[in-house]
Amino acid sequence: MPSKGKNPLKAPAVIQRRRLRVLGTDISLLESIRRQAESDLGFGLDFEVLDFPSCQRKAALHPDTYDVYDQCFHNLSIVWFWGALQPIDTTWIRGWDKVNDLTKRGGLNTYARRGYGDAPADKLYVQPGHSLGPAPSRYIAMLPTVHNFDSFGYDTRVFGDVIPGRESWAMLFDPRGKGRLALVDEPAIGLFDVALAAEASGALSFADIGNMSVKEVDALFKFLDGKRRDGFFRACWSTAQEAGELFRQHKVAVASMWSPAYNELGAEADAIREAAPEEGYRAWHGGLSIARHVEGPKLTMAYEYLDWWLTGFPGAVMARQGYYVPVPTAVREELSKAEWGYWYEGREAAEDLVGADGKTIVVRTGARRSGGSYGERASHIALWNTVMDEHNYVSRNWSRFVSDVNGRSR
Amino acid sequence: MSETATRLVSPKRYELIATALRANIATGRLPKGFVLLEGPIADLMQTSRAPVQAALRILEDEDLIHRFGGRGYLVGLPEPSLAPIRRDVRLLGLSISNEIDEALQNRGLWELVYDEVEAAVAACLIFGEFRIIEAELGAVFGVSRTVVRDVLSRLHERGLIAKNQSSHWVAGPLTAQSVRERFQVRQLLEPEALKLAASHIDYDSVAKLLARESTRRDTNHPATDWEALERALMEHCILRAPNAHLIELIQHNQMPIAAAYRALSRLGLPEDEIAAAEYWTLFDLISARRIDAAAAYLHHHLKVIAEKNLARLKIVAVVSETRLAVPYLTPYRME
Repeated sequence: MPSKGKNPLKAPAVIQRRRLRVLGTDISLLESIRRQAESDLGFGLDFEVLDFPSCQRKAALHPDTYDVYDQCFHNLSIVWFWGALQPIDTTWIRGWDKVNDLTKRGGLNTYARRGYGDAPADKLYVQPGHSLGPAPSRYIAMLPTVHNFDSFGYDTRVFGDVIPGRESWAMLFDPRGKGRLALVDEPAIGLFDVALAAEASGALSFADIGNMSVKEVDALFKFLDGKRRDGFFRACWSTAQEAGELFRQHKVAVASMWSPAYNELGAEADAIREAAPEEGYRAWHGGLSIARHVEGPKLTMAYEYLDWWLTGFPGAVMARQGYYVPVPTAVREELSKAEWGYWYEGREAAEDLVGADGKTIVVRTGARRSGGSYGERASHIALWNTVMDEHNYVSRNWSRFVSDVNGRSR
Repeated sequence: MSETATRLVSPKRYELIATALRANIATGRLPKGFVLLEGPIADLMQTSRAPVQAALRILEDEDLIHRFGGRGYLVGLPEPSLAPIRRDVRLLGLSISNEIDEALQNRGLWELVYDEVEAAVAACLIFGEFRIIEAELGAVFGVSRTVVRDVLSRLHERGLIAKNQSSHWVAGPLTAQSVRERFQVRQLLEPEALKLAASHIDYDSVAKLLARESTRRDTNHPATDWEALERALMEHCILRAPNAHLIELIQHNQMPIAAAYRALSRLGLPEDEIAAAEYWTLFDLISARRIDAAAAYLHHHLKVIAEKNLARLKIVAVVSETRLAVPYLTPYRME
């Protein structure tokens, strides 16, 4: 087992380095993360970065092609029940005690709103009989890592009278933004942005918005098709870069947004505000799982890599693109006081702050993060990204809807 | 002709048809000058057109019928005074010997077609709603509309397809809700059926199964997959309940979920050792004549596998359906 912090320069160059394969998305598999992890851990890392659907498909159907799976809790159930992953023994994770209660207990404190849908706490622990559930056990299916509380961005020149913190998801269908609305193209994510909007605007209501019935799904798509015919939608986007570009080019006035997209706004940054919706955020939580086949020395490497994510460095890189990790104390040591104040405490930025690349200035002095501190945001969750029981049915309807939207606007 | 179609056309079928027609020509029931058309004969014989064509060619070689200026053949040899008699062959009341009738009616043809179509329809259910194009189905298998209709009505009977408002035959979608409901029905019916079956269970077969499993464990042979164990549980125990109506309900209810499971297996669903272990527990309880306990355990087991099935089915959202495509099933889209 290589000791942590060992100087890699002292290792003989001729030795074939041991390698660990990580399958995931561009949310967390950044080159700066890979380089630092290799240097800290003393073994090689191969990152395979795929889009959401390809990543899930590969994880479930071809578990032999990766060692560690870096994805979201909400798609864990598929991959887990395809037998692709193995339980993680928390007693082998040195940093486990530092992991906060958002996933371990379902909320940062007893009174925090839990939110509808696939809360990660409900998928965390391996239960007797190999199913997943919230009852604490020694074994977990996924080590909680990157997460955030998403909302939408809007152009303050169009929605000038909205008070920060008093936004509503209903703004997606505010006539002032008609024809300039964009959604993220992912049925476990974008669907909930519009479901929250439909509910907030009073058009629809759901018995359980996190697990809709077939009837409710039908009603939602009927509503969406109506709005599409009315000309509300401009586009559905797939990457944070695309989302930023839509705002930069004045194509949209209101849109689903991911945190890194706010760093892509350029000159528009001052006019575009991240909403802190009264109804609450759409939250998501990522994590790391170990493929079923991994054993022996490779299993030790996998555990070391998992543990490494609970050290401060990766959490600091994630913070600079607006994402949290569940070990804030460790992250705090790696961030400047100004960074910690802005990203985690919701304070005014005491100086200009750089993004995840360590170069580009993404936050100007005096700016304040929408929604406040980590604790405030984490206590204001409307629902979690969710792979509902009717996910197949939803996905097919969603694909049709997205192709209608993008086909029309092209 | 596709490999499937070649296999489906029995080489002896045309001989049976030729024999039947020959006999009716000999008795005069098929009079001289009668126009023989492939379609109506195929309909009458409940077969596709191909063997009828072949039979007519044989009879032509035997100078029993001949081609003429119109469509089809005329019975008898060419004669200048022979006027074509155009009537529906189905209304002539041809006499067809029992053996020939039985051989022709042996449901081999439609059954073979049925099995393939059922597999294809079942495989598509989880991928959404599909329309069945009857003409394409007939063309793919080289069978008549009658056979296609028989196949579809059987699929309908078994709950795999339905007619929608536009009078199209549609299959699917298999929603999570319907999977959940069907598992609920299983939970209601199957433990009760097991109790009813108590004195009819094939305990010898169960004992043999358990003995084989114990040898397997000692010799480290690969485990029996749980689908085979479920079949054994059905065959030796549950379906022995002395209530034909109940058994029909159970089988009918299972059809689409079993189909969905087979479709997932084709995608590479791995073995479920925990589910297999649960079947062995069931067989142990049954073998010990603890039927009430077995029924309660079965109830619990069905609840667990229902949840697993629902989770596993979600993979379909990220798998393309094109790999299962057959020309007679086309994704249905309601506007």
